[in-house]
Amino acid sequence: MTDLATETVTPPAAAPDDPPRGSLLRAEIHRFRSRRFIQVVIALALVGYALIIALASATEFGKTTPEQLAAAERNVAEIVEEQNRFREQCLREPNRPADVPTDMFCGPPNTAENFPVEQFLDKAPFVLADNLPAGAIAVAAASAVLAFVLGATFVGAEWSSRSMIALLFWEPRRFKVMRVKLGVLTGAAVVLALIGQALWWGTALGMAHYLGRTGTLPKDFYADLLGQQGRSVLLVVFTALLGFGLSNLVRNTGAALGIGFVYFAIVENAVRAIRGSWQEWLLTDNAVALVLNGGNRIFLFDEGFVDEQGSYVESGREILLTNLHGGLVLGVATAVLVAVGVLLFQRRDLH
Amino acid sequence: MAVIEVAGVHKSYRRRRKPPERALDGLDLVVDDGGVHGFLGPNGSGKTTTIRILLGLVSADAGALRLLGKPVPQALPGVIGQVGALVETPLFYPNFGGRLNLRLLAETAGIPRSRVEECLELVGLRERGDDRFKGYSLGMKQRLGIAAALLKKPRLLILDEPSNGLDPAGIREVRELVQRLGRDGRTTVFLSSHLLAEIEQVCDHVSIMARGRCVATGPVRQVLASRSTGGLRVRVPDSVRARAVLVEAGFTVADDTHGDAILVHGVADPADITRALSRKRLYLTELSPIAADLESAFLELTQAQP
Repeated sequence: MTDLATETVTPPAAAPDDPPRGSLLRAEIHRFRSRRFIQVVIALALVGYALIIALASATEFGKTTPEQLAAAERNVAEIVEEQNRFREQCLREPNRPADVPTDMFCGPPNTAENFPVEQFLDKAPFVLADNLPAGAIAVAAASAVLAFVLGATFVGAEWSSRSMIALLFWEPRRFKVMRVKLGVLTGAAVVLALIGQALWWGTALGMAHYLGRTGTLPKDFYADLLGQQGRSVLLVVFTALLGFGLSNLVRNTGAALGIGFVYFAIVENAVRAIRGSWQEWLLTDNAVALVLNGGNRIFLFDEGFVDEQGSYVESGREILLTNLHGGLVLGVATAVLVAVGVLLFQRRDLH
Repeated sequence: MAVIEVAGVHKSYRRRRKPPERALDGLDLVVDDGGVHGFLGPNGSGKTTTIRILLGLVSADAGALRLLGKPVPQALPGVIGQVGALVETPLFYPNFGGRLNLRLLAETAGIPRSRVEECLELVGLRERGDDRFKGYSLGMKQRLGIAAALLKKPRLLILDEPSNGLDPAGIREVRELVQRLGRDGRTTVFLSSHLLAEIEQVCDHVSIMARGRCVATGPVRQVLASRSTGGLRVRVPDSVRARAVLVEAGFTVADDTHGDAILVHGVADPADITRALSRKRLYLTELSPIAADLESAFLELTQAQP
């Protein structure tokens, strides 16, 4: 600070009253990109992805020679034959209860379809039609978790360091500050989800080429896949905003992640066990419903009862959570959480 | 023109299971354009609350405020570009370097990067600009906070305890910077401090806070003069005889606790003392008014009952 005493302070010219349009947005994008924690989390996610792919490629998938396939098919045929032999023995059982249907007591007849040939190979071929959509769901789930962490830390770190307050010395319109931050996070979540899905798509094509087969794809395969991936992007956006909203409410990243863990690991399981009928409103079930083609079919357990023989009998019903249902539940939950946080931010005294 | 106008502002903080804490109790305050205006008060007197309300961080329960002539918080977005502030501790990302922290703020207001370098240079942090903020010493953090406040080239610079954590050389440099900014004819510095010497050395005007109100305001000299007792300090070689002479002449006399002088109060004309002593062949070596220092004025004002 030695220069400070000797330097001439020039009469300052005022900074512009209205900063250039988009300057806050640019600053927030810069802030998001510069956060070391965000960089580290994304780098770790990429490393984890590469490791999982490498591990799966080395241990799970591989091209099958005609001899290996023939051996596996022989294996399947033997098992089918053996199982049907057991069934025949069962059918000949003299003490078989008369009031129990045959297929329920001895099982239905076995066919090769009951025993996928891939299960009898050391390394199953990577089948694009099956593995690409399934992997895309896994990538969507991982991206959603990652987005939750990024959303929580993006605003949580600002509260922890109190740089949120410093920012208000520059832009006192709190709603605008929140709006821009939410916009940046939404954009980042979309980019994250798209990159994740694109990365998996490329990986899956490579794996199908080198470790399996592309084969004949079902009709509407790409339409269904793109629909599922589009809804995956929406899921990632929702979870990013949920993380942001929670962290903005409690003003701490760690607390937000802790609450998230307690909710997903404990509360949801407790609800499933104690109040099965509420399952249709749980975030995880609705996240699955949002992403899966055709939605998520769940079984809701009603109150059980004790029958005449003194056995406890559970009854229930199967319901379908549609894509729309999943989207609406997640959307409303996200909107409420974010809105409450923004409203409190708008009204609170900040120290 | 007044850069800060505060009229009848009340603010109470709600507390759990306790009665509300009154932070501001009908505060009236005017800070005129130019120079350095000191904002003095004991802890809890409402200084920081006043600054927070002016900057829109805290809402007032009642009253009106204007910043650079515009009502706040309504018109704050329109004037914030001309107001630089450092409130208590500097607030930056701990894992970002000083330079990056300033660049992010500058980007928010569309300020060019060259200004960031100027401000880093001004506070002597240019060489350490890429070091992480969390690795800075307390003084460096404070200097970065001052640099951030100066980024906008503000018309009004609000500094809340800017000398916190600085070493003596740093304190002197900040004071010189504040004085020069106050003299540049464009910037008004509003300096909140608990350091009486800082206010006395640096400020042209002062407002003294106590219990959420402004209990004195005006030019520093005027505030001191208003607290002056009107007494005189008398020094003669034979102070024992002189004391007896003055008592005999009807003056109210007290001993100077800081030296061997005699303090005389209630004197209509200092010449009366000269006359009374010279008649007894006692000749003065000192006859001076007892000037109030800011510390005395501050303590007297802030400890007075409401």
